[in-house]
Amino acid sequence: MVITEQKKLEEILRFLEGCERVFLLGCGVCAATWGTGGEKETREMAARLAEAGKTCTGWVVTEEATCDVRTTRRLLKQHNAQVEAADALLVLSCGAGVQTVAALVDMPVYPALNTLFLARLQNLSVCDERCRLCGACILAETAAICPVTLCPKGLMNGPCGGYKDGKCEVDRERDCAWVAIYERMEALGWRERFLIIHEPKDWNAARHPGFINKREGAAAGGAR
Amino acid sequence: MKSGSNLEKVLTEGHFAVTGELGPPKGSSADFIRRKAEILRNYVDAVNVTDNQTAVVRMSSVAACAILKQIGMDPVMQMTCRDRNRIAIQSDILGAVALGVGNLLCLTGDHQKFGNHPESKNVHDLDSIQLVQMVKRMRDDGQFLCGDKISGGVPLFIGAAANPFGDPFEFRPLRLEKKVRAGADFIQTQGVFDIERFARFMEKVRERGLHEKVYILAGIIPMKSAGMARYMRDYVAGLIVPDELVRRMETAQDPKEEGVRIAVELIHQVREIEGVRGIHIMAVAWEEIVPVIVERAGLYPRPIL
Repeated sequence: MVITEQKKLEEILRFLEGCERVFLLGCGVCAATWGTGGEKETREMAARLAEAGKTCTGWVVTEEATCDVRTTRRLLKQHNAQVEAADALLVLSCGAGVQTVAALVDMPVYPALNTLFLARLQNLSVCDERCRLCGACILAETAAICPVTLCPKGLMNGPCGGYKDGKCEVDRERDCAWVAIYERMEALGWRERFLIIHEPKDWNAARHPGFINKREGAAAGGAR
Repeated sequence: MKSGSNLEKVLTEGHFAVTGELGPPKGSSADFIRRKAEILRNYVDAVNVTDNQTAVVRMSSVAACAILKQIGMDPVMQMTCRDRNRIAIQSDILGAVALGVGNLLCLTGDHQKFGNHPESKNVHDLDSIQLVQMVKRMRDDGQFLCGDKISGGVPLFIGAAANPFGDPFEFRPLRLEKKVRAGADFIQTQGVFDIERFARFMEKVRERGLHEKVYILAGIIPMKSAGMARYMRDYVAGLIVPDELVRRMETAQDPKEEGVRIAVELIHQVREIEGVRGIHIMAVAWEEIVPVIVERAGLYPRPIL
């Protein structure tokens, strides 16, 4: 799940300066589940903007992910009159959703959220980052625990010297990724795998921006 | 001989090695380096030069090492993975060799959260084990990481660090084994205070036959005051300082003298442990105590090779 947080209202009002009428669009997938851009939050945002003197021409939450051009295009068409009546669009989704909307309209589009990370959702209050989208997954070799994400130094071959009682030196509240990997390896009877030396990572796959066209059979992650 | 550095000669000829440590200044003074180095001269076989330790900006390790070479001392250049990618690391290694550096200690590096630029981007393109492996490839195969040929040799005596004290304990020796497999010639450990635990670590090391494949130098950190002892016990990642030693520092009439006494005792104790081939004295900002400790530990004069 893509984890987002709401921007402070002052920041949103700063970039909405000069835009009196605003249309709001929330995302029904990640932002809705995490409680930053679903129906409730979009309605609340509309109310806060109204309190600040803005006119809300309407709001909608995408049923699918906002980042899916096909469904978002259809939804914007359905709400064409309200969108046209606005000076700007405020999008409550991750950065991919905001840009999806921006490419579909000829008017200012602003983000209401900051996009934080790709996470595991433990419950509706707790999530933890689990994937850095590095493009070359090594989970098969690390007992399905990602050191690229969970170690602040991204170490590939075991822990640094700083862990204490199984906790990370950078944040004593957090488990050391490599202690967790080692313990899982032990439990699985894979102790010898810890001794495998992982070669330096090929960061090519992590280059930005990623682009794929399946029809052309283009490779993943290539810059374009 | 891998590099023919003084440290390598001392170890290969079977002497109990002594290395010291020097932290470059937060400034540009070459005299600072020379002054600190002169204190250590003749009392240590080689001098580690830290690489922006604790992520605080200082004069570069390579430049400080070059100054040591100019005055005829044997530097151990510390190289961390925190600030440079594989291109910069290999480039700096070639430069260091060109300036006469013969020992390289490969480290992960302290996280920049602890330093004076916590907002900086951390690099960690490689980790310390990959760094050891890369340097070995540069030296033994004459190749860059990418496989391109290197002109001229890269004679380096390759070191790595080991922390025998982190909990859980049981995979510390395995981590050391990875460093040995990657190509480390020598190991300098984190400061040893808990002898019983260090002995257990060395037992595991011997069980795996690692002490015959790599020279292990035990870390010694002289304590200057009770405050320092408490701070290391409570706050320094990767150190275990037994309460008994803290108490001795607290009740001592002359804490500095007690610190020296403890350091000398620890040296005698690690020397008894099979597989320990030397000591690495880390007395940054208290360099003048190194000659005292070396002499009182019976390790002076140093071999001239």
